[in-house]
Amino acid sequence: MGFIKSAINAVADPRLFFMLAVALLAIIVWQREKVASNAVGYGALGLTGLFFAFGTFDVNFRQIVTKPDNVPIVGLIFLLVFFVWYSIKEGVLNDRRIAAGQGPIEKAESDRVWVWPDLVYTELISLILFTVILIVWSIFLKAPLEQPANPANTPNPSKAPWYFLGLQEMLVYFDPWLAGVVLPGLIIVGLIAIPYIDKNPKGNGYFTFSERKAEITIFLFGFVVLWCSLIVLGTFLRGPNWNFFGPFEFWDIHKLAALTNVNLSEYIWVRGLHMGLPTNWFVREIFGILLVLFYVFALPPLLAKMWLKTYYVKMGGPRYYTGVVLFLMMMSLPLKMLARWLFNLKYVVAIPEIFFNI
Amino acid sequence: MAEKKSVGHAYNVDFLNVVFAASSLFLFLSVIWMVWDDFDREWKHTQRRFAALEYQVTQATLAQAGRAVDKNKLGQLTAAEAAARKNVSANQQKVDDLQAKLKDADNALFRATTAFQTMKATYDQDRYDFEASRANGLSSAPRKEEIEKDEAKRLADLDLAREKAEANKADVQKQLGQYTGQVATVQKSIDEITAEQTRLNKRLEVIAPSAVKDYFRNAPLLDFLAPTLKVQQIILPNVVDDVNFIRVPKMDRCQTCHLAIDKKGYEKYPQPFTTHPDLATYLGGSSPHPIDKTGCTVCHEGMGQSVSFRDTAHMPSNEKQKEEWEKKYGWEQPHLWDYPMLPIAMTEASCAKCHKQQVYIPKADKLNMAYATYERAGCFACHKTKGFEDVKKPGPILTKIDSKLSQDWVRNWIRNPKAVKPTTWMPRFFYNSNNSGPDDAPRNETEINAIAAYLFANAEKHTFAVSNPGHGDAKNGEQIVKAIGCQGCHVVGEGSRSEVGPRRTFGQPLENIGNKTTYEWIYNWVRDPKHYSPATYMPNLRLTDAQVADVATYLVTLKGPAGDAAKATPDATVTDAVLLDYLKNVMPFEDAKAQMAKMSPEQRQLDLGQRAISRYGCFSCHDIKGFEKAQSIGTDLSEEGSKLVTRLDFAFITDIPHSSKLGWFDRKLHDPRAFDKGRVLQPLEKLRMPNFDLSNVEVERLLTALMSFQREIQPPAAMPVRSARIDNLGVGRTLVHRRNCVGCHIIEGDGGDFVKLVADPSLGPPMLTPEGARVQPDWLYAFVRGPITIRPWLGVRMPTFGLNDENINHVISYFGSISNTIGPFQTHEIVKTANGDSGKQLFELLKCQQCHVLGAIPKDQPTSNLAPDLRMAPERLQPEWILQWLKKPSDILPGTRMPAFWPDYPKSYYPQLGGDAETQIRAIRDHLLTFKGGPSPKVGAAKSANNN
Repeated sequence: MGFIKSAINAVADPRLFFMLAVALLAIIVWQREKVASNAVGYGALGLTGLFFAFGTFDVNFRQIVTKPDNVPIVGLIFLLVFFVWYSIKEGVLNDRRIAAGQGPIEKAESDRVWVWPDLVYTELISLILFTVILIVWSIFLKAPLEQPANPANTPNPSKAPWYFLGLQEMLVYFDPWLAGVVLPGLIIVGLIAIPYIDKNPKGNGYFTFSERKAEITIFLFGFVVLWCSLIVLGTFLRGPNWNFFGPFEFWDIHKLAALTNVNLSEYIWVRGLHMGLPTNWFVREIFGILLVLFYVFALPPLLAKMWLKTYYVKMGGPRYYTGVVLFLMMMSLPLKMLARWLFNLKYVVAIPEIFFNI
Repeated sequence: MAEKKSVGHAYNVDFLNVVFAASSLFLFLSVIWMVWDDFDREWKHTQRRFAALEYQVTQATLAQAGRAVDKNKLGQLTAAEAAARKNVSANQQKVDDLQAKLKDADNALFRATTAFQTMKATYDQDRYDFEASRANGLSSAPRKEEIEKDEAKRLADLDLAREKAEANKADVQKQLGQYTGQVATVQKSIDEITAEQTRLNKRLEVIAPSAVKDYFRNAPLLDFLAPTLKVQQIILPNVVDDVNFIRVPKMDRCQTCHLAIDKKGYEKYPQPFTTHPDLATYLGGSSPHPIDKTGCTVCHEGMGQSVSFRDTAHMPSNEKQKEEWEKKYGWEQPHLWDYPMLPIAMTEASCAKCHKQQVYIPKADKLNMAYATYERAGCFACHKTKGFEDVKKPGPILTKIDSKLSQDWVRNWIRNPKAVKPTTWMPRFFYNSNNSGPDDAPRNETEINAIAAYLFANAEKHTFAVSNPGHGDAKNGEQIVKAIGCQGCHVVGEGSRSEVGPRRTFGQPLENIGNKTTYEWIYNWVRDPKHYSPATYMPNLRLTDAQVADVATYLVTLKGPAGDAAKATPDATVTDAVLLDYLKNVMPFEDAKAQMAKMSPEQRQLDLGQRAISRYGCFSCHDIKGFEKAQSIGTDLSEEGSKLVTRLDFAFITDIPHSSKLGWFDRKLHDPRAFDKGRVLQPLEKLRMPNFDLSNVEVERLLTALMSFQREIQPPAAMPVRSARIDNLGVGRTLVHRRNCVGCHIIEGDGGDFVKLVADPSLGPPMLTPEGARVQPDWLYAFVRGPITIRPWLGVRMPTFGLNDENINHVISYFGSISNTIGPFQTHEIVKTANGDSGKQLFELLKCQQCHVLGAIPKDQPTSNLAPDLRMAPERLQPEWILQWLKKPSDILPGTRMPAFWPDYPKSYYPQLGGDAETQIRAIRDHLLTFKGGPSPKVGAAKSANNN
């Protein structure tokens, strides 16, 4: 028992957790033919259920999971597992039909739209059932009256609402103005821009994977790995002082984590060139600034000439550049995470003189 | 789900119908459940149970009220009523006539009144109309004026008509009264006698159980209209809750369940229905803390807005209650409210929230005991605390230690003080839970040695006033120690420290004093304590040199164990290592080494001693040379009671709930180093609060003191109104507690520990509550300054405290304020013997001299009957007080031996002066005031004043 728990605690470390999530996504995409079987789908659900059943015997796990605030996230995990599997399965089934020249199953009866009573009736039933769930939920998970809010005594950990925990996780790696303003802004702008960038008419109104490989993979990476799994991580695995705690670990306020992060400028000037830091901040940060400029402005045309040539041709300049910049912005999070984990990199550009850090 | 049919529907509609029906049923059931869940509240059950109880109690009270009625009187009245009714029926014809007339007159009056009122309303409207028109210069004004005038006339007519109708009715009523008046008068007397029963009957009607209440007024969904079960709340504009951003009026809903808390008659019922145990002081309408002004949670703490047992944050008093509550109410350690209720024994801690202008508070016995313990243990010496800034250091001076103690004894003492004197307040710094390991012993011993070395090296030379005094008789000495009052402040091995309490451990315990110091020192100390320690509170007992020798000879025989032996014999290298440790903490390693190299081994030890004293804060309690300006080393505790539990570090202690502030303090006080457990720490990083080996009782007292140190939240309106008198009381109380007057005397109900040791209380130190009313201020001044013997037959005596003028004046103002006879300047009319010899006659008749001294001590009386010399009366007693005292002595001093000569005051058994008690009392008083030549403190006071 103890061994299994410490193994799970170790796996839940943000570094491993994130890597495993990425690896799992890769396996799902790569082995989608096998994933599409009912055995895998229900097996995954069963395993998840088993994990929670096993966990509830542990007092620390139980405390975190049954906290009224956290219960929806437990539901989120199960729904996520189910719907990711379900969409992959439906996509794979259609892909097989398309390969066999039959066309997607949804198109088979495309001359008919079942509204009455099928759609309306099922919507009504769903409405009723969700009302029942909400009522029963509110009876069981009561909201207690607590002490008055005290600005001098904030809860530790202070957590954002669950749907913002992904953003809060970004705060570990980025300055607030980036993690709290620029990147969320870009997420919204990017979501608005998707229909204008993605002109591919395939997959419209039916499940498919092979017709939209890149789009679906990018979506799964951005939504499931970068958004949802970070919410799960933020909910269950971040404890006092925003320290990481395994699911079976006691949330001890005294836990310490060594944080000796180093800026890029220090890496280059002090460790690489064996010099002191230049006093002028522009000179000091010149390498970081160049790197960021390269990432944002030079990388897209380079990619257009090299690996993403086909996309450039297919999409045309404006669409390509918008899409790639948005994609690069999304990728800046995992890249920064990697740099932090591998090199203890604090900031690429650190200019405290003007409160500007990247 | 996505099984699709080739034609028709995507789903089986029959199946959907079933799903729809089932889910609708679920919805219906869950809505019912929701309504029930909202309706079925804990407090409603409580109120239902109380309704039954109240009905039962009211019925019992009604039965009692019925029994209490004077049956005879009621019988008489009923008979009188019957007779009166008979009289009425004899004139039935006329009465009927008049009643019919009265009815007519009534109707006429009603009509006249209605007509008048209608006209009045019309007139008022039109008058305003006219006024407004005229003011605005409208052309219609003249016309409106006419209307107004006309209406005014009609109104006057109607008023006349109304008055006439009224007069007519009164006339008829008067005629009728001739026949029925008697009945009404008797009926009124009967009503008066049975008023209580009538009231209770009405109440019973209101609270009687009924189906309407149960099934309609309190039914789910209907209970918003006029329920009988409802949340009872009081809002207190003068008492506030601090919600961090703003202070809001307190809102207490405690009475939702504690329904009889302010009602008499429920004392014997268990919580939550019991009556408050002290309605005269709390909650009662005429008490100083009425419920509608004070509420509940300002004293008890807890979440006043909540109405569930758990969320209100109740706090059990003990383990047993805790388990019971867990079972009964699902109690859990409060963690959703910053200030959970105080355990009932600690509630007095809250007194200090509003009673801020004083430290000691009358009637708050537990809190006063808590503060006495806090002072005795010397907590305030290391921990700055508001209200305790000016308290004298609790330990003796160590600046002359050389003439008093030996180094060996000091080492053993520091190592474990309780092994030498089990009742001492000196705490243990070494061999505690965080420095008792095998590696700690050499370090501990080194520090102990260094501290002792420093103290002796820095002791100034002291010359005894009497060197090599002769010995006396130990037996005689023991008698003096036991009789004269030493035990008011000192214990001589009489049970544990918590049993004897903080007042009797005010001075050093005398046990084992023979091992501690020399005969010569004790002799000189008893003879004149201020010679050795000018600031000491130890008073002068005015013993003769022979008595001093007896006492010292006795004390030096008190010997006990030598204490714990050293657990290691460290050499100079350990001293060096420890000193280096201290030095490198404050300077770079190389500098530390250089500094050490400059010092001789002796210097190193002394330097280490100084640093250890500085680290452990010995100077906080003791005067030590070189530490005159050192700052206190502990956390400021002035607002410790308001500290949030999140500010406390529980470290690796997991067996107390981390949401319990009291749990943390409790552990800290029992084992001050407990939170070092399981941590890897350098010696100088370890916790250093010493261990006082506190008992559970002492810990509870200190917790009460800690919880009373609160932030200032309550507005001035919540606090007692300030006045010179209140201020005098505050200053005086503090003084009599800090000087331990209460060790011997009972003052305002507090103290008198020594009286309990005396077999007959009338032979103990007097109760001083009425002292301000009793004696004249200038006499009191002289007496405190230089006490004289008032009752020579007593063993105990008032010592000479050597208070300065400021403090003596505080004492005088304090006693004056208790009895509200403020001020040292008072004119006492010189009362002449206006009543001839009657006073003297009565004085002899009542045999005052049988017990009272009048020059010579009366013979043939047991000593407990003896009373002070009456020749002191004119100079000592307040003339007004003598009257009160003679009238009923036991009102002033319950249990006094002074007889009440006028038990039926104002009647008198004695024929003199027309048999009037008041005149007789005055005559005796006037006679007393003619006496002269009694002992007087004023001569001595003048002398000692000159000496200063």
